[in-house]
Amino acid sequence: MDVDLLKTLATIACEAAISGGAEFADVGAWNTRSLAVDIRANTIKSCDASRHAAISVRAIYRGGTGWSSTDKMDEDSAIEAGKKAAALAKLAEPDPDFISLVAPAENYAEVPGLADPAIETMDIRSIIKYAIENIDSALEVSSEAIVEGGFSAQYNASAIVNSLGVSLGNESSCIGGYTMVVIRRGDDVGSFYDFDSARVLEDFAPDGIGARAAQKALKFLGARKIETQRMPIILGPMAASSVFNSIVLNADAEDVQRGRSFMAGKVGEKIASDIITITDDPLIPRGLASRPWDSEGAPSKPLIVVENGILKTYLYSSYTAGKAKVAVTGHGTRSGNAVPSNIVPKLGSMTSEEIIRSTKRGLYIDIGGIAPNSTTGDVSRTVDFGFVIENGELAYPVASTMIGGNFLDMLRNVDAISSDYREEPGTIMPTIRIQDVLVAGGR
Amino acid sequence: MKDLLQSVCDRAKQYGASFADVRVYESEHTSITRQDGRADKLSQGTIRGLGIRVLKDHAWGFASVSGFDRDKVFEALDAAISMAEASAIRSEEAVVAEIEGIQDEVRAKVQIDPRSVGVEKKMVRLESYEQAAAKVAGDKLSNSIVSYSDFVSRETVCNTMGTLVIEETIRTFLSTVITVKDGSLLQKARARVGEPIGFELLEKTSSEEFTVKAANTALSLLAASPPPAGKFPVVFHPSITGLLTHEAFGHNAEADHILSGTSIIAGKLGEKIASELVTIIDDSTIPHKWGSYKYDSEGTPGKRRILVEHGVLKGYMHNLETAAKLGVSPNGSARAQDYSSRPIIRMSNTFIAPGESTFEELIHDIDNGIYLKGGEYGYVMCERGQFTCHAGEAFMIRNGEIAERLRDVSVAGLTLETLMNIDAVANDFEMKMPGFCGKNGQRMYVDNGGPHVRVRELVVGGRA
Repeated sequence: MDVDLLKTLATIACEAAISGGAEFADVGAWNTRSLAVDIRANTIKSCDASRHAAISVRAIYRGGTGWSSTDKMDEDSAIEAGKKAAALAKLAEPDPDFISLVAPAENYAEVPGLADPAIETMDIRSIIKYAIENIDSALEVSSEAIVEGGFSAQYNASAIVNSLGVSLGNESSCIGGYTMVVIRRGDDVGSFYDFDSARVLEDFAPDGIGARAAQKALKFLGARKIETQRMPIILGPMAASSVFNSIVLNADAEDVQRGRSFMAGKVGEKIASDIITITDDPLIPRGLASRPWDSEGAPSKPLIVVENGILKTYLYSSYTAGKAKVAVTGHGTRSGNAVPSNIVPKLGSMTSEEIIRSTKRGLYIDIGGIAPNSTTGDVSRTVDFGFVIENGELAYPVASTMIGGNFLDMLRNVDAISSDYREEPGTIMPTIRIQDVLVAGGR
Repeated sequence: MKDLLQSVCDRAKQYGASFADVRVYESEHTSITRQDGRADKLSQGTIRGLGIRVLKDHAWGFASVSGFDRDKVFEALDAAISMAEASAIRSEEAVVAEIEGIQDEVRAKVQIDPRSVGVEKKMVRLESYEQAAAKVAGDKLSNSIVSYSDFVSRETVCNTMGTLVIEETIRTFLSTVITVKDGSLLQKARARVGEPIGFELLEKTSSEEFTVKAANTALSLLAASPPPAGKFPVVFHPSITGLLTHEAFGHNAEADHILSGTSIIAGKLGEKIASELVTIIDDSTIPHKWGSYKYDSEGTPGKRRILVEHGVLKGYMHNLETAAKLGVSPNGSARAQDYSSRPIIRMSNTFIAPGESTFEELIHDIDNGIYLKGGEYGYVMCERGQFTCHAGEAFMIRNGEIAERLRDVSVAGLTLETLMNIDAVANDFEMKMPGFCGKNGQRMYVDNGGPHVRVRELVVGGRA
């Protein structure tokens, strides 16, 4: 089902919602095809093919919202969904804070490389080849490797139409894979994960996902318990990326306006160390989270969220922007909360190796993070993939280890961001160091 | 519809499949969200589609499609066959247990079908829940969310062994998050209630055991201290016992993990893996429990599965395939989120059986320990047996008595060590943790619980 047909059905549903009495309406419609290979215990567990389509209508009456969805993709079902959403909107209680959905923009940015025809026509055998090569590369590293994981390709057509004249549609693609390698020696178990994903086939680099996970899994054998103490923690690219994500996710205006966020009242304030600057950039060509418009049809543009440690803005949808009387930022969803795009942190001057080498004693975290309680900012997290650093080197993996503290205190204690980084399309993933973190150990 | 499913199975056999099943999934839901004094978000939706799984040349293929268009259904069968043929290049010699086909149709037994109750009536009940919490929280209330959902689903499983099972399920679910403030200090607490029953859930659920409970907890957290960091003796409330049982142990007892070698209890059947005080059961047959069902998504009847008895590992949760490979009978543990997902092994209602101690005896000889309450979430690194459980509420235990309140506490441990370190199990019992467990990208209805239990030593991720 192509984009034009989706737009047509979405327009029919939108008109039905308005004729059913809604004051505003928007409709998302999409059609997805995917192929997936599931890897279990070094073999192909199953190959899966799926085709799904759906229409989702949001109707608004005096600020009250009604939603209706269907996966029947015909005109009658679109009309029925539109009318049902309008009827629910009229039953909903009014919300005076709702101002308007988004009006169509004069221009939407062109973002190259969001859809690759080579992924649309991909054969399951090509995807299996990635899976088998990575099972074998893990087994070459260690014949004890148990490889689990999956590879998949997805091609999507979607449309967003609203009653103010927004009528947009595009195609997008994604290909990705991951492996989790387990190495078991009696009751001693090491494991690790690696992945790669891309919008276009040319950017997809699956080689070595299995081998890298196996090499790291071997290093996680022989985990030891450590004593409770305060020490610096260094977060490797995958872990640090979750820290930057947590900052931007918690800058959602919806949670702030509703009085349930520790980020309330923090715009213009220093929330992090001077060296932290984060841009949310939806326009990076081929970026995994790139988009010319958000889910409501608001145009996308780069946004500096944190600059030299100061929170510059929240992320707004049409509802939260209307409530705050500010412009939308292009992060809206049709269900409420804001969604970031590509998160790009500013790089530092030391290499990741220099950061580790200059740390006499600390904890290195490969995967994981310091995701806080979104209301209090409290952090209480397990270190699932961590190493003790002794004299500037990764010494041994840890077990039964946790970190605790307050998210903003931790951000203020970030004293290094690396100059080198792991890159996934649109995303920069450097290494960071946080000083003076309370690490609880089981020894 | 039955003829269509039967002809898909017949055609699959003609194509050379040694086994095939077709699963039709239809559901409709209504959701209402009330926030800050207004029920301003109402939602209804339907899902309808079909998933086909085939086993050919000992390799699995699966395809799914929305709707029931006959041509598209047979296209999906062709896709499933070609997926199986592709898998065969490096498959695992897949097999399924031979079972006798079952024909049955199960209608949901509820007192008040939620579809017969108007949205307005549901909104009125939510308003009373929210107002009761607002009254308790007073001017400290910062944000209140009260949500209602009902789900009516119908799953039809037809396979080449002659099974044709239709099961209708009705589930009703309530959840709340109450956030309170004192100056710039914010705290929140949650509560949830869910059963496979109809609108009667709202008639029997009082505000006191739902929103008021959450409001009172949130208020008390305003004066709570950050938890200490380090190693402590820990007493679990039944909600945390449930989390521990589900996360730390339950996932490891799913036989797919056993077969792949990624479970820490693989090869330990008949061995002592826990303190002899510990008996762990997964039971999908308990009436009115959130995780209960009659048939799983392969059409096998659900069962009471004794996983650990007095510390000894007795069995695993199986689907048709793991049962065949491990030479046991299937025990009905395969479930699929909807038509677009393959059935995988899932827990249902998982719990530790009650012991003989009283709660007072559990805390009596703890000089400096922690009592964890208000289970919120948990997860496990299954292959390493490293788990995390998060409690929304906790207390210090000092000199054998419950002392000051703590906030936001997580504990981590190693599963086998922790099960061995359970040195007291209380004679009480509660299983009120209706929720959704995630595995391989699929969400599934589960509940968990047990008695109060004491663990000699665990790591607490504190801030002080």
